Amino acid sequence: MNAAIKEPANLSPRIQWLRDYFFKGTERNWNNENTSWTTGTDWDFQYNELTYYIVPETYPFLQTFRSSYAQNAKKVDLCDDFWSWSLPERVAWFNYQVMVNYVPREILPGDLIAGARFNIQTSACLNKKEARQRDKRVYGKKGSRSQIKWFFNHGYGNSGATSGHLIPGHEKLLKIGWAGIRSELQDYYDKLPVKDKKGSKGAQLRAMMTASRMAVDLASEYEKLCRKTAAAETDPVRRKELETMADNLSRVPLNPPKNFHEAVQALWINHMLVMSDENYPGPGVSFGRIDQYLLPYWEKSVKEGMNREFAKEILKCFWFHANTAYDATLRIGGNQGITAGYGQLLTLSGLGPGGKDMTNDLTYLILEVIDEMSPILEPKPNIRIHRNTPDKLMDIIISMISSSQGAPFLLNFDERSIAGMKTQAEKCGLSEYINDGNIFDYAPVGCLENTMTGNDRSGTVDNNINLYKAVDLVFGSGRDTHPFENTITGKTEKIRQDGPVTGDPCKFKKWSDFTDAFEVQMKYLIRRCVNLYEISESLRADTAPTPYLSCMVKGCAEKAKDVTQGGAELNFTTIEAVTFATTVDSLLAVKYLVFDEKICTMKQLKDALKNNWEGYEILEATARNKAPKYGRDDDEADMMARYVMELWTEEVWKHKTKSTGRRFRPGMLSWNYWVGAGFILPASPDGRRQGKFFSNAICPSSGADINGPTSNTNSVGKALGGKLIDGGKEIYMNMLPNGASHTISFNPALFKSEANKEKLKAFLKGYSRNGGTALQINMVDSQTLLDAQENPADYRHLLVRVTGYNAYFVSIGRELQDELISRLSHEKI
Amino acid sequence: MNRTGLVLEIQRMSTEDGPGLRTTVFLKGCPLKCRWCHNPESIKSDPEILWSGHACLHCLKCVHVCERKAVRHTDDKIVIDSGLCNSCGMCLKSCPTNALEIAGKEWYSGELAVELLKDRVFFEVSGGGVTVSGGEALLQDGFTLSLLAELKKENIHTAIDTCGLFPAGRMENILNLTDLILYDIKEIDPVRHKEFTGADNAVILQNLTAIMQLINEKKLSTEIWIRTPVIPGATDAVENIRKIAEFLSDKQNSISKWELCSFNNLCNEKYRRLGIQWEYEHTPLMQSEEMDFLVNAALDCGIDKSKIAWTGMTRKE
Repeated sequence: MNAAIKEPANLSPRIQWLRDYFFKGTERNWNNENTSWTTGTDWDFQYNELTYYIVPETYPFLQTFRSSYAQNAKKVDLCDDFWSWSLPERVAWFNYQVMVNYVPREILPGDLIAGARFNIQTSACLNKKEARQRDKRVYGKKGSRSQIKWFFNHGYGNSGATSGHLIPGHEKLLKIGWAGIRSELQDYYDKLPVKDKKGSKGAQLRAMMTASRMAVDLASEYEKLCRKTAAAETDPVRRKELETMADNLSRVPLNPPKNFHEAVQALWINHMLVMSDENYPGPGVSFGRIDQYLLPYWEKSVKEGMNREFAKEILKCFWFHANTAYDATLRIGGNQGITAGYGQLLTLSGLGPGGKDMTNDLTYLILEVIDEMSPILEPKPNIRIHRNTPDKLMDIIISMISSSQGAPFLLNFDERSIAGMKTQAEKCGLSEYINDGNIFDYAPVGCLENTMTGNDRSGTVDNNINLYKAVDLVFGSGRDTHPFENTITGKTEKIRQDGPVTGDPCKFKKWSDFTDAFEVQMKYLIRRCVNLYEISESLRADTAPTPYLSCMVKGCAEKAKDVTQGGAELNFTTIEAVTFATTVDSLLAVKYLVFDEKICTMKQLKDALKNNWEGYEILEATARNKAPKYGRDDDEADMMARYVMELWTEEVWKHKTKSTGRRFRPGMLSWNYWVGAGFILPASPDGRRQGKFFSNAICPSSGADINGPTSNTNSVGKALGGKLIDGGKEIYMNMLPNGASHTISFNPALFKSEANKEKLKAFLKGYSRNGGTALQINMVDSQTLLDAQENPADYRHLLVRVTGYNAYFVSIGRELQDELISRLSHEKI
Repeated sequence: MNRTGLVLEIQRMSTEDGPGLRTTVFLKGCPLKCRWCHNPESIKSDPEILWSGHACLHCLKCVHVCERKAVRHTDDKIVIDSGLCNSCGMCLKSCPTNALEIAGKEWYSGELAVELLKDRVFFEVSGGGVTVSGGEALLQDGFTLSLLAELKKENIHTAIDTCGLFPAGRMENILNLTDLILYDIKEIDPVRHKEFTGADNAVILQNLTAIMQLINEKKLSTEIWIRTPVIPGATDAVENIRKIAEFLSDKQNSISKWELCSFNNLCNEKYRRLGIQWEYEHTPLMQSEEMDFLVNAALDCGIDKSKIAWTGMTRKE
């Protein structure tokens, strides 16, 4: 039955062994589980809960995580004057010590890339006073923890200053090596006025200089290990490989790589230490356009006679290492796809200067690696396509989609994505950093969140709000319509006037009364999120510097400011809207039921929602089946989508963080929040009951897109802003610079024949003209998924696409499984 | 020309009704009554109100809203007295679940064209367009003609899917506006044809020859694809395929393709909803070897390899 499930292919014994070894999980002798390290003080801790505020599943365990890491922490010997240094200097020195002198090092059998353990939890390095102040800001009555829980419990969403989610300046780092970075840092330091040297600027640069030694000194240690292992190796072929690795490590990442193997080795060490520095395994720490900046090294190696298959072996070892990030949750079962949450994203192909397509030989080489290794979670590939994507690449994309259970990569659409980056540049007057000369070098991070490269931290997952909350608050005139019940204490909270009073909706005379109230509540919802973010953002800026990462982000050295303090040239934080289509459909339903068709009164609708539609089944069915819906290419309904989009995005742009001056920008990722929000927020006017999921990202509500994939695509394009025709030229509009997640599922039977594969290709070309910024494709029928639910053991490798990420179907939890199956059952074709 | 027509369904992103990605317009009304019909609600030429029991909440809104008392609730079923019904549509509007649905909506050809053009971009990138199907496209020939004219104004690729049973001469004007004709030859034996479809096939075969002549005389670029539904126990006899092959063998210059379309059971759910027992409910799909065998039989009868192919679903191996 599962014969058609994608399996890896063409793996050498070396890679087969490494891949199998990875999937042995807890049975492995070696692993990359977190190790924990302390300064040895009574008040020390490692776990930075701020970075998990966007993962509500962890809320009950925040204290447990903190305590268990603290209890298991091993002591690092401090130097005598440690406590006299500034915080960033302490952190840089401590992390250096841990990685270079404490964490064990191994070379796995056959491995061609050195740099194995990187998951660490390191001391916050705070002194007693700093720790006490910080703890107060976290655990106090108005502290970050109670605030985030309140926000989440009341259905607003979540928000927290989170790690990763950026593309470090790998290209530059390869070009000049750490030697080049160091001399730049020294220059900046030397140029500082004496007063600044003594202050935070000097401290930051000194910390970065310490951090800039970490990769190089770690590489030297691995070099020694390779030499030692080589000396003991009996197989001459393997001995030669180990010697080559040692030679590589003697040059990189200190100096620019001389060939492809060195470049991949340098990239790996530089990358993995970002995860160490942030104490977080691969949270959207992305590579950017890897087929572009590795190309010169690849071409040089090809000239020197490098074997294509061996180049793939090197990359496959890199793939193995990227997956070991998951060892951080090795012993924890996954639920709702959070185990698929890392997102070390790499980007392939796409536009270059002057509308040129940038697909090259390395693009194809990497695609072969992806195809042969998949299904596997990391690194996540993203292929950028556009109007002039070559047919050869399109053919490979189609064949990979149809031979697996969907795209083993995400598709990003350049024209629409670039339009979003343009919106951002124009709104914020950033033409210095985003302009026609470099806009094509944008790349997505994490799942599909578009950013610029090497100088941009846009906090792409930091804020997630349920747009529907604004509708709920209209019904309650600024009060929750349902009290929050604490499931542990059983206590029900008293409902308060949290939001602005917008009046009893039952007294609204016309539709615009409702939208007026909705706009007021939307503004309140966004402001509330902005205020909440400030708490964790300022805390991070004050207490959790990442000096190593700061070395790799342009702007930090120039400003002598950590990346956590707004050091990057481009500083945004993103509000990702969740529950979009449900919100749009709810507005459409209120308008249809109460104002246009007068099928019920507002009072009846309000009561129906209060009773979760029970006793109101006829009205519920009317809302569900008769009211217009977004996603059907129905211009009127889609204009409601456009209205909601304009309203909330315009509001988002108005805000900045106080502590770090980062401007808010809009996006639609949704992650898995649309699942959980369905249980927290009450029934909605579109006919959704409490306990049913909300809509996912920019997708139409489940079952609403009755006119098929092309109409779904058209609606999404319209919601984002559509296109303007100017002098016969089409200009793409996009209100979401961050991009929006869109998933479409197809029945695999549809695209079996060669002729129909051409049609799928055409669909993607059409999508590129009319659709959104990014697309995930599932190619699996509901029968297969039902069978996988029954016989999970037979489907361990079955990957499905959820919200811009891939997840193993058997690990995503029953609710989400059922949702995926119901989506597929809705298909007409 | 007739600007209003009765449309059963508009299906976007069709992949099986001609080249590229297409929007297929299913018109209502068909002169045949094939035993395996996949669109049973398309046969009658009048709008029909269909009731799906499984979706009905038995709220009786439809019964109460009907001023002529044409809608009745008997034995837990909604029944519409066609003698009393004046097709006002109030019952449909009142139904909260769409358990009552109308098969056959009136469309104005200009408005329909606007609706169809929504997928223009997908037509352009795929070489696709619009297919007018049915029912039978030529049963509403005036409407079809006016719709095709609207589409041709916009340079859309047009196709007609026909069963071939229509009065001679109906095709003449339509041909000028049609890029492709999907023409069904289901069964070559007239007696069996009548048994399966309720009508003789003499006119169907004559019409095909006449169309080919017209295309030739007028020097049109209209293509013809022949389609044969391969139905287990009916049209799947190798004799049938051989004889169709013989009939087509001297006309190969006039056709660009002959498709053997393997039987599918995707309409099972539809029959169930309509409460009709479908003869083919439990019929298994064809096997791909069987389809290959039929294609080979056609090749043996002189059909050019480039002209014939089978399409559709087959049994899972």
